[in-house]
Amino acid sequence: MVAKGFEKIQDKWGWIFISFATIFLALFIFYPLVYSLYLSTFSTKGIIKNFVGLGNYKRLLQDNYFILSIKNIFVILVIQVPIMLFLALIFAFLLNDPKLKLKGVYRTALFLPAVTSLVAYSVVFKMMFSTEGLVNNILINLHIIKEPIRWLLDPFWSKVTLIIAMTWRWTGYNMMLYLAGLQNISQEVYEAAEIDGAGKTAQFFRITIPLLRPIILFTTILSTIGTLQLFDEPMMLAAGVTTGSSVGPGNSLLTPSVYIYNVSFKYVPNFGYASAISYMIVIIAVILSIIQFRVAGEER
Amino acid sequence: MKKIFVILMLSVLLLGLVGVASAAELSGKITIWCWDPNFNVAIMEEAATRYNKINPNAEIEIVSMAKADVEQKLNTILASGVKKDLPEIVLIEDYNAKKYLESYPGAFADLTDHFNYSEFASYKLDFMTVNDRVYGVPFDSGVAGWFYRRDYFEEAGIDVSELGNITMDEYIELGKVFKEKTGKYMQAGDPYDGGLMRTLLQSAGTWYFDEKGEPNIVNNPALKEAVRIYKEINDSGISKETSGWNEWVAAFNGGEVASVITGVWIIGSIKAEESQSGKWGVLPIPRPDVPGSVNASNLGGSSWYVLENSENKDLAIDFLNQIYAKDVDFYQKILIDRGAVGTWLPAQKGEAYSAGDPFFGNQKIYVDFAKWIEMIPPVDYGLYTYEADAAIMGVMPDVYSGKISIEEALKQAEDQLRNVIGG
Amino acid sequence: MNRKLTYAFIYVFLTISAFVSVFPFYWMIVGSTNKSVDVNKGKLTFGNQFLENFYKLSENFDLGQVIWNSIQVSLCVVVFSLIVSSMAGYGFEMFKSRGRDFTYATVLLTMMIPFAALMVPVFRLMTFLNLIDSLWGVILPMIPSVFLIFFFRQNFQQYPKEIIMAARVDGASEPRIFFSIIMPSMKATYAAAAIYAFLTSWNAYLQPLVIIQSQKNRTMALFIANLASGYQPDFGLVMMAVVIATLPTLILFFALQRYFVQGVLGSVKQ
Repeated sequence: MVAKGFEKIQDKWGWIFISFATIFLALFIFYPLVYSLYLSTFSTKGIIKNFVGLGNYKRLLQDNYFILSIKNIFVILVIQVPIMLFLALIFAFLLNDPKLKLKGVYRTALFLPAVTSLVAYSVVFKMMFSTEGLVNNILINLHIIKEPIRWLLDPFWSKVTLIIAMTWRWTGYNMMLYLAGLQNISQEVYEAAEIDGAGKTAQFFRITIPLLRPIILFTTILSTIGTLQLFDEPMMLAAGVTTGSSVGPGNSLLTPSVYIYNVSFKYVPNFGYASAISYMIVIIAVILSIIQFRVAGEER
Repeated sequence: MKKIFVILMLSVLLLGLVGVASAAELSGKITIWCWDPNFNVAIMEEAATRYNKINPNAEIEIVSMAKADVEQKLNTILASGVKKDLPEIVLIEDYNAKKYLESYPGAFADLTDHFNYSEFASYKLDFMTVNDRVYGVPFDSGVAGWFYRRDYFEEAGIDVSELGNITMDEYIELGKVFKEKTGKYMQAGDPYDGGLMRTLLQSAGTWYFDEKGEPNIVNNPALKEAVRIYKEINDSGISKETSGWNEWVAAFNGGEVASVITGVWIIGSIKAEESQSGKWGVLPIPRPDVPGSVNASNLGGSSWYVLENSENKDLAIDFLNQIYAKDVDFYQKILIDRGAVGTWLPAQKGEAYSAGDPFFGNQKIYVDFAKWIEMIPPVDYGLYTYEADAAIMGVMPDVYSGKISIEEALKQAEDQLRNVIGG
Repeated sequence: MNRKLTYAFIYVFLTISAFVSVFPFYWMIVGSTNKSVDVNKGKLTFGNQFLENFYKLSENFDLGQVIWNSIQVSLCVVVFSLIVSSMAGYGFEMFKSRGRDFTYATVLLTMMIPFAALMVPVFRLMTFLNLIDSLWGVILPMIPSVFLIFFFRQNFQQYPKEIIMAARVDGASEPRIFFSIIMPSMKATYAAAAIYAFLTSWNAYLQPLVIIQSQKNRTMALFIANLASGYQPDFGLVMMAVVIATLPTLILFFALQRYFVQGVLGSVKQ
């Protein structure tokens, strides 16, 4: 009887604690969400609406731009996300070494890119990667390349530039998360491994990665969601001389979010179709998250 | 005699008073959205100052945003159907005008009876007209010119007097010769920018769409020619490849290229490099080699629109009327200060338009531009210019690499465009 | 010997990486001391235009107002977001029930929606609430942060339940337990969350863009975007503005860095 009364009070307090956030979320996210779900059953031209039911979703499956945008982000998902997370793991592993000096300096330096404002970073990156820009100059002076690379003018290299830009900006952020996770692994484990003659590489693959698996899963899912919504970087790298051309050479930088933006604001505004695209992205995000959970689960 | 004079004076005074009184009845706040701090924002500020002398009861706020942001906000606000907090006046790029007018019927004020449109350049009217009603006040012209370096051309022994009426092929040939002689590039440009494409299309009096608004890609000889010219320029090596606006401007500011074919609004950027004063000149643009094309065209340009449901609509219309359709002096000032070529024709009789420009070797460039403005073939840009632009530019990498023929590329682009428009 | 070599290699690797990370910052600062033409040419050395750029920027624009707007937005978001999100995280973690777990899952799902798709409905809503062109219209939607709710929940997992139980036995009310026992003892977590909330609100772009209409309510991000657009942007000024915009985040980060690392630590304990 007492316990039950206590549980009831507990239940009440539980709801009270989460109420503010949920009310805010309901207002500012759920309402717009429901509204855009409703919109996604219309094909719109500004304020002129035509009910199409699931027509937008059918159209999506045949839309070359949408398919291309999905292909583009899958390239990022398959190449950029692993590179970035692996690099972040290495940094975290190295900076976790108690014998290493200047840890704070390195840590701060590597984390700095995550602090920058987007505009700053976009202006700087476009300049650095112009055909006669700094990056090419350095590479030529180091005799790594003979001809300047057309970073932003070639469909292949523009994707490489995008990958570099994203990796630059987000590696330090993930490193921070890994560093945090590493604090839970006792240094003794590493010391023991060292006495057994395990080198740094062996320690990294046999201790760090297995023990960090949950946090690796977490960052993978965060990065997946981030990539699916990728907007800022391609938008800034693709800006042309006058507006209105493709998103990167041959649309090599077109992502679903950029496409949503174009369909809503740059082209004849079709908010219904834009909503349908976003729901498709949500579905893909959920499926990928489930797969990632499964894969991580099975290995355990 | 004296009496008549007094009566005349009095009536003038009275008329003046009536004029002031009617303007003074209108009061309130005008909010204006536009995007370029050094260009249309500054020009609007000048216009506001002038209007406040006529009507001190108007408070004018000019909100400066990025261009994409103006478009995004306008779409958001109009799509939401909200009728308050609207700006009175917005600047819309000409290529986009019809899109807004047709997507948001009733959102923009019908200005047909408020302005004498025969005084504006005729090519500015097609895209702002829906069902014979006109909805905009034409603002700056994007009349195209072939800006060239006099010193470079001289060095290469090029005689400009023979270049008034050439085709793009002749231009490319000239570029090759020039590069051979001087080692410099003829032009600079982003190979995936659709600007030149639009310039060439309009000079042939055609567009990505036919009169009915249907895509006109595969069977459009001018477009086919334009794509061929893009590939030709790319293959010939006469163009320094740049990406984005800044690199492009840096290319001619830095003296790396001999010429630029683009809209008249580039003059501000050219003049930014003061050390090149006197070294520039302007020629008519080369035309694509298709029947009916002229050596004049347009790239970009924008116009003012009044929102129907804004609070002080009438005041806003009066403001635009008093300044943009009456004030010759204003147009002289913005031409001199900002290099803005207006499309209100009476302004072109003003003295700033007939003066020689020392930066361009005292050439009377605006006399030339005024002449070319009248030659620009009017084109209805329709609703989907940017969709079409993106579709064409999307296939260009394969055209450049020779992976697909121009015919095949146009077919792919048209399919893609129909796909985007459809649904 | 081998070990020394390994370390030498590690130092070189880290130094190069750190250099690459910091380089754009260096350039940004250099840019703010140069003329537009030089910035555009990619000049790498300090110039003498620093004061000139600063003067031009503060002369032509109401920089103080812009910064003040951004500060107001960010401070409000930090304060309210921390309270609201930490309460939610606490509620989800300490008072588990099926209903709340379901709510939590739904909340997490909202992280997956691209914001571009929500802009029109958000605008409608804001008009309805009469919050268009007000800083509150920018602040309110940023208060419930899904990431922060998640982050706080993870952190509360470590909190020793015995302390809460003991407090309950002593007759402390639930709000009292939370506000005067738990909150003060989790400074590091709050510091980390503060940095995160500050960063996101300070750099927020699309959201204020939808809400803010007039010049006087512009935030820093909107201001810079406008400065960098147009036919002939002055890059010296852009760089100067960017430096000014980045300074507060850097200061905050350095000030709270120690807590930040500790706070992040808490969030991922297994």
